[in-house]
Amino acid sequence: MNILNMNNARVSRMLAVAVAFSFAVGACATAPQSPQGSADVRNKLSALQANSSLASKVPVEMREAEAAVLIAEASVGNDVALGRHRVYMADQMVEIAIAKAATRVAEDQRAMLSQQRDQARLDARTREADAARRQATAAQNKSEAERALALAAAAKATSNEAEAAATAKELQQRIDALEAEATDRGLVLTLGDVLFATGRSDLMSGGNNSLDKLIVFLNEYPDRSVAIEGHTDDVGSLEMNQTLSQHRADAVKTYLTQHGIQSVRLASTGMGETQPIADNQSQSGRQQNRRVEVIIKNPSALPAASSN
Amino acid sequence: MSLLIRTKRPYRLYVAASLAISMLLVAGCASAPTAPTASLNDAKLAIRSAEKDDASHFAAAELDKARQKLILADKAVVAEDMILADRYAQESTVTAQLASAKTEATKAEAINQEMLRSAEALIEEMQRAGDTL
Repeated sequence: MNILNMNNARVSRMLAVAVAFSFAVGACATAPQSPQGSADVRNKLSALQANSSLASKVPVEMREAEAAVLIAEASVGNDVALGRHRVYMADQMVEIAIAKAATRVAEDQRAMLSQQRDQARLDARTREADAARRQATAAQNKSEAERALALAAAAKATSNEAEAAATAKELQQRIDALEAEATDRGLVLTLGDVLFATGRSDLMSGGNNSLDKLIVFLNEYPDRSVAIEGHTDDVGSLEMNQTLSQHRADAVKTYLTQHGIQSVRLASTGMGETQPIADNQSQSGRQQNRRVEVIIKNPSALPAASSN
Repeated sequence: MSLLIRTKRPYRLYVAASLAISMLLVAGCASAPTAPTASLNDAKLAIRSAEKDDASHFAAAELDKARQKLILADKAVVAEDMILADRYAQESTVTAQLASAKTEATKAEAINQEMLRSAEALIEEMQRAGDTL
């Protein structure tokens, strides 16, 4: 028992010495050995290593950076300049690994992006094809309805002959109601982009004030013919915009014929992006350029047409 | 016997120490007068490569630092401090490499942005085309 106690005391004393010694050694090992700044580099490297999705992209650079950091952490004795040099080298190596990893990530994303773009292109083609098919069937139905409506409109026009000879004042009122602009080409009514942007079926389903006013006006003045011009902004290819503007002009023409205006009075053209009325550089400018202009020709300009 | 050994030990130590010192001296003499040509060439090549990648546009700070380090290395060669010259040359090389890496990363990101923008334009175009249907 006594012996054991004595042993314990000795052991604990030895332990204390050993601990003190190891502290001393440890102090020697860490404090003077690791050059200043090496801890920061180690932290930077650790942060990169922790982000495995980044680190795994550049295994070679990671290995080189790790080696450089280990060298930077090694003892340099009193050679402060060497320590600084090694820390600088390690820091740059870690930065290189970070930059290269970012490059790889961007490259990987690129594959995904081009896939997305291809999908968008495919969708566009599909929609174009679908639209063409739909328009073909719609055109058939339309021509029948058109004939009936044209008859009705003609009947109305003849019965309203008295009104057709309305006073200049009344005409002016009508023009004012249309909010059309009088130009040398005739009265120009500009239908803004909102007509189309609020949903694709909006134009067809009616409830459109300026177009309805136009229909009333055209019914009142059957001797006037109309030119419909579609315009776009400069986003996308010339060809694409040409087609798009034609589609839009056609959409307005279709709307008018569906509401009883004879298609012979209506001419629709796509002007593409060739005639901007505002700067294409700004969002609002582009919106202004996406428009359909309805030009109501002056009757005096076409006496032959009115006699038809 | 034991006396003999005791006298021999310090003697051996002296021999070892003097050998080590002479080796250090030789090494010092060997490296001091010759410029670290290989390191300096590496640095020049790395800087030229970074310049070719247009790093002056995308990583101007790093490229400038690499050039400054090379100038310091050349100065150290003139001052015949070849160890310092070698270190500066190495730092110049690694900094120029970083300039290249950063340039590459910036370019890659720019390409992605452009692709994203064109895809968005296409989608917008599609939506506008859809509106007339």
